[in-house]
Amino acid sequence: MRHRRIARALKKKQMPRTDYLLIIATVLPLASFVLLVFAGKRMGKPFAGYVATGAIGLSLVFSVLALIGWVQGGEYKPAGRTAAISYGMGRTPINLPMHWVPSNYTADAQTKFLNVGVYVDSLTIVMFAMITLVAFLVHFFSLAYMADDKRFPRFFTYLGLFCFSMLGLVLGGTILQLFIFWELVGLCSYLLIGFWYEKKTATNAAIKAFVTNRVGDFGFLIGLGILFYHFGNVSLPDIWSALDISKMSGRGIELANGVWFGPTLLTVMGVGLFFGAVGKSAQFPLHVWLPDAMEGPTPVSALIHAATMVAAGVYLVGRIFPILTPDARLFIAIIGLTTLTMAALIAVAQSDIKKVLAFSTLSQLGYMILAMGVGSWIGGLFHLITHAFFKALLFLGSGSVIHAAHHEQEMHQYGGLWRKIPVTAITFAIAVLAIAGTPGLSAYYSKDMILAHAGGYAGLGAEHSKWYLLFFWVPSGIALVTAFYMMRCWMLTFWGKPRNQHLYDHARETPVLYGPLIVLSIFSIIGGYVGVRTMIEYAMGEGSKIVLDVRGVKEDSPEAKKYDLYATAWPGEPGGSHLPTEARAAVAEGENEPNLTHSQMEFKHYEHIVHTVVVWAFAVGIALGFVIYFKGYAVANALMKIAPLRWIHTWLYRRMYFDELYAAVFVAITMGLARLSALFDRVVVDGLVNFAAHFVKKTSDLAGLNDKYIVDGAVNGLASATQSLGSAVRAPQSGRIRMYVTVLLAAVVIGIAAMIVVVISK
Amino acid sequence: MSAIGLNHYLMLAALLFVCGLLTILTKRNAIGILMGVELILNAANVNLVAFNRFSHGVSASGGVLLSGQIFAIFVIVLAAAEAAVALAIFLNFYNNFSTIDVERAQNLKG
Repeated sequence: MRHRRIARALKKKQMPRTDYLLIIATVLPLASFVLLVFAGKRMGKPFAGYVATGAIGLSLVFSVLALIGWVQGGEYKPAGRTAAISYGMGRTPINLPMHWVPSNYTADAQTKFLNVGVYVDSLTIVMFAMITLVAFLVHFFSLAYMADDKRFPRFFTYLGLFCFSMLGLVLGGTILQLFIFWELVGLCSYLLIGFWYEKKTATNAAIKAFVTNRVGDFGFLIGLGILFYHFGNVSLPDIWSALDISKMSGRGIELANGVWFGPTLLTVMGVGLFFGAVGKSAQFPLHVWLPDAMEGPTPVSALIHAATMVAAGVYLVGRIFPILTPDARLFIAIIGLTTLTMAALIAVAQSDIKKVLAFSTLSQLGYMILAMGVGSWIGGLFHLITHAFFKALLFLGSGSVIHAAHHEQEMHQYGGLWRKIPVTAITFAIAVLAIAGTPGLSAYYSKDMILAHAGGYAGLGAEHSKWYLLFFWVPSGIALVTAFYMMRCWMLTFWGKPRNQHLYDHARETPVLYGPLIVLSIFSIIGGYVGVRTMIEYAMGEGSKIVLDVRGVKEDSPEAKKYDLYATAWPGEPGGSHLPTEARAAVAEGENEPNLTHSQMEFKHYEHIVHTVVVWAFAVGIALGFVIYFKGYAVANALMKIAPLRWIHTWLYRRMYFDELYAAVFVAITMGLARLSALFDRVVVDGLVNFAAHFVKKTSDLAGLNDKYIVDGAVNGLASATQSLGSAVRAPQSGRIRMYVTVLLAAVVIGIAAMIVVVISK
Repeated sequence: MSAIGLNHYLMLAALLFVCGLLTILTKRNAIGILMGVELILNAANVNLVAFNRFSHGVSASGGVLLSGQIFAIFVIVLAAAEAAVALAIFLNFYNNFSTIDVERAQNLKG
């Protein structure tokens, strides 16, 4: 009764403008950061944690209000427009660009400025809700997890900065803003990986993460540079409207000022921008930093290196999706495929619980990137959200285990822990089932969709080359591996007999630790059907609407068809509301069977296979994991006796020797170059500097001589002359009165005598 | 024996002046020097009075002019004042040096 009244009140009450709510939600963690930077130490434990948790909690409230406001819809009037624009789910997104810096060249005659601004569509709203929810739970979890840490306030300070940066990244309306916040989250990641900087491994991991990300960001900068140089505008809707790939012809895309943007250049730009995502989302070949990043505190791994920051790469690709050429998409799909395969295989052989989860994250990110590559825009972003929930749950669960095991992370030391920490065990099991793709749990829907779309892509491509079939069968096979290694992880941790009795006896869990786990496990279950997918599907249509708005084209005019941004993406569901334009038009005209294009027929065909494949992959993987690890390591050790299996295991355990390879190639080259530069420094630069110093010294010696003999001589000569004159003059001043009188008398006598002489001579 | 005239007075004054001068030149005692100064001043006074007596000291209205005498009186007053100041200086000098020998007063010698 009461909640119905609240619901009615909410329906009646018009929410404040969504963009304002989101800006407040973004700024709150920044306020907490600023406060804690200056006063964090004085607040101390646990008050500093309460401040940060409170701030992100308020952010969560504002995000939820924004979600409600978005579903309700509303109106806003941007500056310089006469008519108000109605925003909301399925309507026009909020786009508020502000002129920042004048730019000399833009292909678009309307704007001569580099813009910054806010862009809000359904995807932004979903991302906000997800980020603030996970961040709040991680903050809450950290209150207990970090309670013994001596730098407790600093931890929450960094978390505040991270939340601000991450929310700013999602809110940003231009690629430039995306880049700025991109670097900020990278910085936070660096600070938090190296949080326990007394450990050499932690600082090394932090530096590795930072440097590896630099490589990716270099590509991002190149892409951004190409975009800015040739197009001169970085606002998302402007880019979409001008460079939408469905308008591409053989010569490329013609810009508003008549310049052609060539297809090769577009591909290079797309791949360049994607390289940013390769760095941040830890895709092959820049994946090496993410497993090492597990040196950071576990809540950080959950928030930054599983749920939010690493997914930012997928978000970026999602935002530039309409301008990616087919070649660029193929490249993206290949990278995603490589990553998801490689990471899943490595995860099978890892013994550190967090390393398993790290490689599992890599693999799942690979799925998302693959999804983007094969045109499954909805699938990729849908999986991003569901993955955020169950992966954050897995990491926080591992945090709870590690906390219970006194910071022991090797699964060799675990076993049978479910009796001691049952809530963690159950929630962890839910996450394992979710990631494995159990029907009914969240990842089943998202992974299913990705595989269906990949199937469609593979089916279309198979007409050119049979290799395209890999895009469907490899991820399907890896779905099985995923189920297996996650089950292995759970079995080794919670099942069987304790392998370390001491550790087992002291294990315990607390409500502050498992509270967030329960919330996350609920979201891991229902994440597939609480409207996340619907929201993301709406975001597709909204993107096209903002482009129509930017172009000034009426929605129902025939020209509007040209501006369907996601015409090259796979639809959400065949026959659903998000078919490509022609099919939608056919439905509208009352045809019973929509004119499905060839690609949709492919998709329909693969959808049937996919459901079977996903269910079987899940069942076989889980069963294998359960059987092999039922008695701890017994079966696994027996299998290891077979030499080829042992070799493969070692190869996988050492992470396919990527670290060694990079150390031998890139690090060695860099070190060699560094030594060479050091030599140059010592011989040439130091030589020049020393010569200059010598020269200056000699010159000053000369100047010193001049000073000593000529300038000083003149001054001293004047002084001694004055002194001798003085002593000559002082002789008469004897102080003897009689002498004065005598002189006086003599002078008078001489004077009188002179007068007499003068008078006489006259 | 002729009557005493102006020249006698002038001779007396000259004699006094020379006495005073010699006193100043020879004495090292400050008070002695002061005495010499007094002698010189009095020589001047004698001259002033004598000149007034032997000039035609009659004004246009027939009154007698006494400017020389008045001048002398002024000199005497000034000499008294000067003696007072000088003696004060000597007293201080004595306090500092336990002597009034002017030869010792050469601290300000250049």
